[in-house]
Amino acid sequence: MITTNTDSQKNEKIVTINCQFLNQMKLGSEFNATACINCGTCTAICPMEINLLPRQLFRYVLIGAEEKVLENVNNIYSCLLCRMCEENCPAGVHIAENVRSLRTYINREVYGLSRS
Amino acid sequence: MSVKKIGVYICECGGNISDFVDTERLRIEIAKEKDVDSSMVNMFTCSDAGQQKVIEDIKEKHLDGIVVASCSPKLHLGTFRAMAKRAGLNEYQYTQVNLREQCSWAHTHDMQKATKKGLRLIRAGIAKTLNSKPLKKLRVKTLPHVLVIGAGMAGMRAALSLSDIGISVHVIEKEPEVGGMTKRWGKMFPRNKNGYELVEKLETELKKRDNIELLTNAELVEKDGHIGDFSVKIQVKKDHFFSLKVGCIIVSTGFETYTPTKGEFGYGLPGIVTLPEFEELLAQTDDGSKMISYNKKQIKSICYIYCVGSRQNKMMGESAHQYCSRYCCSATVNTSNQVHEIDQTINQFHLYRDIRTYGKYELLYTKSLEEGSLYFRYDEEYPPSVSFENNTCTVVVKDSLTGNQNIKMNCDLVVLVTGMIPRTNKQLANVLKIPIGQDGFFNEIHPKLRPVETVVDGVFIAGSCQGPKNLSESVASSMAAVAKSAALLLKGYVNLEPLVAEVDPNLCEWCGECLKACPYNAIQITEIENKKIAEVVPILCKGGGVCVPACPSQAISVKGYTNTQISSMIESLAKNVDIIDEETNEEKKTS
Repeated sequence: MITTNTDSQKNEKIVTINCQFLNQMKLGSEFNATACINCGTCTAICPMEINLLPRQLFRYVLIGAEEKVLENVNNIYSCLLCRMCEENCPAGVHIAENVRSLRTYINREVYGLSRS
Repeated sequence: MSVKKIGVYICECGGNISDFVDTERLRIEIAKEKDVDSSMVNMFTCSDAGQQKVIEDIKEKHLDGIVVASCSPKLHLGTFRAMAKRAGLNEYQYTQVNLREQCSWAHTHDMQKATKKGLRLIRAGIAKTLNSKPLKKLRVKTLPHVLVIGAGMAGMRAALSLSDIGISVHVIEKEPEVGGMTKRWGKMFPRNKNGYELVEKLETELKKRDNIELLTNAELVEKDGHIGDFSVKIQVKKDHFFSLKVGCIIVSTGFETYTPTKGEFGYGLPGIVTLPEFEELLAQTDDGSKMISYNKKQIKSICYIYCVGSRQNKMMGESAHQYCSRYCCSATVNTSNQVHEIDQTINQFHLYRDIRTYGKYELLYTKSLEEGSLYFRYDEEYPPSVSFENNTCTVVVKDSLTGNQNIKMNCDLVVLVTGMIPRTNKQLANVLKIPIGQDGFFNEIHPKLRPVETVVDGVFIAGSCQGPKNLSESVASSMAAVAKSAALLLKGYVNLEPLVAEVDPNLCEWCGECLKACPYNAIQITEIENKKIAEVVPILCKGGGVCVPACPSQAISVKGYTNTQISSMIESLAKNVDIIDEETNEEKKTS
């Protein structure tokens, strides 16, 4: 194996992009958070004070970091779907819909549940 | 005819001068000087009203020379020369004294001493005007013919436009083919035309024109002469030479692409290519194929690393490319959009430092986001690492958009987004003598006001030989060079400063010292009444004056700065200025 510029990554955790997950979320689901501008309004307004803020979670989904999504299954299910964040999102991201799509994915892939 | 009656105009510059120099006091002292027939203080001499007042004064008192004591001649020499001309004077019998930058602004702490210095400076100005002679601008005929060096897009476009105007053109190209870098490129924004199609279109048109001659495998080897009338020698292939007379030269020699050093972001490993290499691959890919292959393997994911070889840290030494190459962000995003069009399922990762898709290229960036391209921002200090294992490239980036976490991605292809670097052609640089800027590209006189002119009169620069440019910017600058050339050549003549050296045939004994000193080859040997003497070629002379101190018999001097003028100025500067002290002391006594 030949590697360059490794200094910066020594002893640091690495998140791997899973292209399969990426494609599933991109092509096979309703999930869409490309408009997110990382402003943090959703974080400030969340009544559940969810650890993994919607914007961080959406970034993980957007870049296909499946391991990070699975680490946070509990957080994803803690969401009340109250839509406070969505109402106040300046970029118009459908946050609650996105959380729903994620739950669908987790139900299917992690818990083996399916709608049909 | 030397000057007898002088007018001196002292400018307050709205306080810039008069707050620190006693201008009224200066006027009183100057009025006492011999040969000064008029002296006046103005609040703003450069204003229309100020100039009008001076013109009326000159006419009324029948003055034949003037001195304006105001700002630096860099600012208003032209203004006041034109004013002198309107008043019926010869514009070279006007002297500007720099009372602002070299007096009031420099000595804001001591008005008395500043006033004394002002007096000395104005006296010197008077001495210079007193010994001045009327001069006439040199007029040079211009030939309506242009040499364009480099037949890339900028060069070809320049040639066609000059031909449209009716100016004949010789285009020389070092390579066997025209089209430079553009012919290798695929679809370009916004019309999706291929690079080679554009080149072909221009080339066909170029060959149709009677007044354009295109020479490939040709290089400029010698340049002689001056603006309006250059003699150039051109080498075609290895052994053919021919000479040509042209009125001006447009240099459009283009750029080179940065080639990463071996190992830089894994360059040299399989699956790691530069942007131009990838663009060539894409240009060869059939639109209908719905897939992109590299080394016979279908590409499913691509990672672009931006700013390779651009915006380098100056700690890397003199060879560091510190500038932003400007075109690469837009070019990469455009390329990646084409990838999306060919195969929607390809995952594309963009690792950037800053995205600079300025102006309408923002549309490309927005489209790229919509198409699903993923963007990761890395810091200069933490460049991404690239490795190659099991037939795939692995890239790890510390992504500031994901809380500075290290993100790893596996890709089939890594594209290093390399920028433009200056083309190295020492021979051409030697022949043309165009100054090279800090970044290694040819330098213009002024980036905003004179963007295509160089300090070599009659030599213009166009396109990316001046610095990184995209195609539209490149062509725009070549059009600017065309306009400058046409304005110069169609007028038929050009006026040059007459402040050039001249030889006194009585004093000259021809020793050749002036010839050795002159950097412009403006001295030649001639014979008058069986006596060999030096002669100045006025059109080549820049009035630099290095020949003057070189002459052992003081036979050579520069017009407007003659030996008489300079020594009389020195004498005037050294004259007593204590009168200003006396007055102040008296004031002190009385008070």
